[in-house]
Amino acid sequence: MPNAIITARRVAVDLGGVPVLRDVDLTAVPGEIVAVMGENGAGKSTLLRCLAGLQPSPCGEIDVLGGPPADLPGFWREVALAGDEPAWYPGLSVREHLELMGAVRQDARLTAGEALATFELGARADLAPLSLSTGQRQRLSLAMALLRSSRLLLLDEPERGLDAAFRRRLAGILRGYAAEGGAVVMATHDARLAQEAGARVVTLRAAS
Amino acid sequence: MIPSLARPHPALAYLRARRRRPATWSDRYTRVFGLLVAAAVLGRPVAEAIAGLARHADPARLGAGLALVAAAYAGLLVLARALGPVVLPAADASWLVTSPLPRRAVLGRTALLLLSAAVLAGAALGLTALSVFGAPDRLGVRLAAALLLGVAAGVGGMAAAVLGQQSPASDARLQVLIAGALSVAVLAAVLGAGPGRRILAAVAGAPASMGAAVAGVASLAAALLVRRAWAALPRIPAHRILAASTRTARVTSAATTLDPGTLTWVMEDAHWRGRALRSRPWPRLVSRSGPAPALAWQEWLRVGRRPGRLAALLGAAALPAVCADATGGASGPVAGMLLCGALTAAAMCTGGVRREGGDPALARMLAVGGRAVTAARAGLPALLAASWAALALAALQAVGALPAGAWWLFGPAVAPALAAGALRMARRRPIDHSMPVIDTPGGAVPTGPLVWAATGPDLALLGSLPTLAAIASPPVSVAPYLAAQAAAGAAVLTAYILRSARRAPH
Repeated sequence: MPNAIITARRVAVDLGGVPVLRDVDLTAVPGEIVAVMGENGAGKSTLLRCLAGLQPSPCGEIDVLGGPPADLPGFWREVALAGDEPAWYPGLSVREHLELMGAVRQDARLTAGEALATFELGARADLAPLSLSTGQRQRLSLAMALLRSSRLLLLDEPERGLDAAFRRRLAGILRGYAAEGGAVVMATHDARLAQEAGARVVTLRAAS
Repeated sequence: MIPSLARPHPALAYLRARRRRPATWSDRYTRVFGLLVAAAVLGRPVAEAIAGLARHADPARLGAGLALVAAAYAGLLVLARALGPVVLPAADASWLVTSPLPRRAVLGRTALLLLSAAVLAGAALGLTALSVFGAPDRLGVRLAAALLLGVAAGVGGMAAAVLGQQSPASDARLQVLIAGALSVAVLAAVLGAGPGRRILAAVAGAPASMGAAVAGVASLAAALLVRRAWAALPRIPAHRILAASTRTARVTSAATTLDPGTLTWVMEDAHWRGRALRSRPWPRLVSRSGPAPALAWQEWLRVGRRPGRLAALLGAAALPAVCADATGGASGPVAGMLLCGALTAAAMCTGGVRREGGDPALARMLAVGGRAVTAARAGLPALLAASWAALALAALQAVGALPAGAWWLFGPAVAPALAAGALRMARRRPIDHSMPVIDTPGGAVPTGPLVWAATGPDLALLGSLPTLAAIASPPVSVAPYLAAQAAAGAAVLTAYILRSARRAPH
């Protein structure tokens, strides 16, 4: 596909001699949301790591934004990844984490105030992230990823810790991101989130 | 039927049942034999050291010695407060503290351990104080008084820390005690060489009976505090014991797995967790200057949020001068302390870099890296290292440990190398325990911890050689050494920044 943001063909990964992914194909074009689903151990997170260039020596062809993914600042300027909870900066509040992102990425999509409102974190803006609940920290993580501009958003189980109402809201936020021309690839167990986001579902089967 | 008075409380019976198996004869034999061997090995040196205390104090070193003892006491109290001090193994904390078992029965063993630790630490402090003040007469009485006074201070301080864990009001009093001990240390260091020397000499020459009386009063005060702490033990809120136990378990785990980097992480999280912060926007000037200054600004913000720590750090710049005073101007310890202190000052403001080294997820999200970021991040560490080293060198000159000359200029000159060392320290990976172990005549040496410990200090040492050489043998003119230091510092930082050009964003 000429304008594809992601083109992955016959991707395979073995971990310790055990096949985790086998001959997986995936494409994503601008404006598209792809939900990667499958049982535990099917390789969803591993596939995301391959797309982010964080999986050592995967087999197959992976092309992200016109080249192989690489863990370098130039790559991350175009790609945002929200997976496991990041290590928050000590001594910075929730608002300051968002301010930092806005100050560093001057082409930000949202201001810190807008991100706080969108992700319903206004009441917790002056707390350190470690003082938040699991779901609120997940919202902050997503807010950080969505505040900045990017062409590709990689999300590993974005629904983790979120209540049902916010999952619906998240679906709308992702649709808005895709409408601006970005592509989203998310590994998820939440079929409803995928459906409400209007995602194309790719189901992985366990390789072994 | 067993009379009810003879039956132990069910809670005590439960706790006894789950403790370790009773000691066997073999265990007792091993313990006694170990104590005998220790007595045989250490008896003679200890007896000689005690006999060596029978001397007059050196008035020139009284101030510095007292300052070190007071600082060590403050450190003991800070450590007790930071660790809990009432903690339990993580599993016991989770299950027993929140159970209906009597709290004092659950915490009794911990209390006994704290008492033992306080007695040992206090005795060591007492002996150190006696070695500072000397014993011109009646060695036995002075030794007993010093030990009693030290133990009373240690036990009393630990009891105050237990009370501080029970209530915020007592914690405030404990902080006053810590501040008092630190003030004594500073006053002794500053005034001990001048106007305070006469007072300290008078204290050193006071009759032994007066020392015994002071020790007696201190013991009574300590006993009172211990009684209050024992009464407060059941009232310590469960959540404080749980939080302290979790924190201590993580610290212990980091220490036993030889991962000292985790210790910093744990202490930082413990400090900031649960605090409400006054959020501040990034200054426009910083934001407009580009991504690198914007990323580096967080360190300035963090340092500004802990003014007490900054003040303590700058106050600690007097330590090399105190050390020079106490050791009679030995250049080795002074140079070592100067390098370590200035490197610590630089490393204090690399928290963000350390986080990214441990988990680069946020750095990837921010998507900045390269030379500009490294250069921007070196600014604050260099400034703090320069200030600390300049103050320490000025203090050394003030106490006469360095000759005339613009020694303070070595601070700004050495700072870039120290900043590079601090950034390298912040970015180092955890200890690689798979690295080879080298057999030496002195025993096996694991290279993993050695390489880890040397990563960072190596750059700082390399870039500080002209300063260290100048301190080791003070030259007539410092100008050539200053020029060499400025060149070495700039070269080390430049090389470090250039090497960071093409690395992943962490």
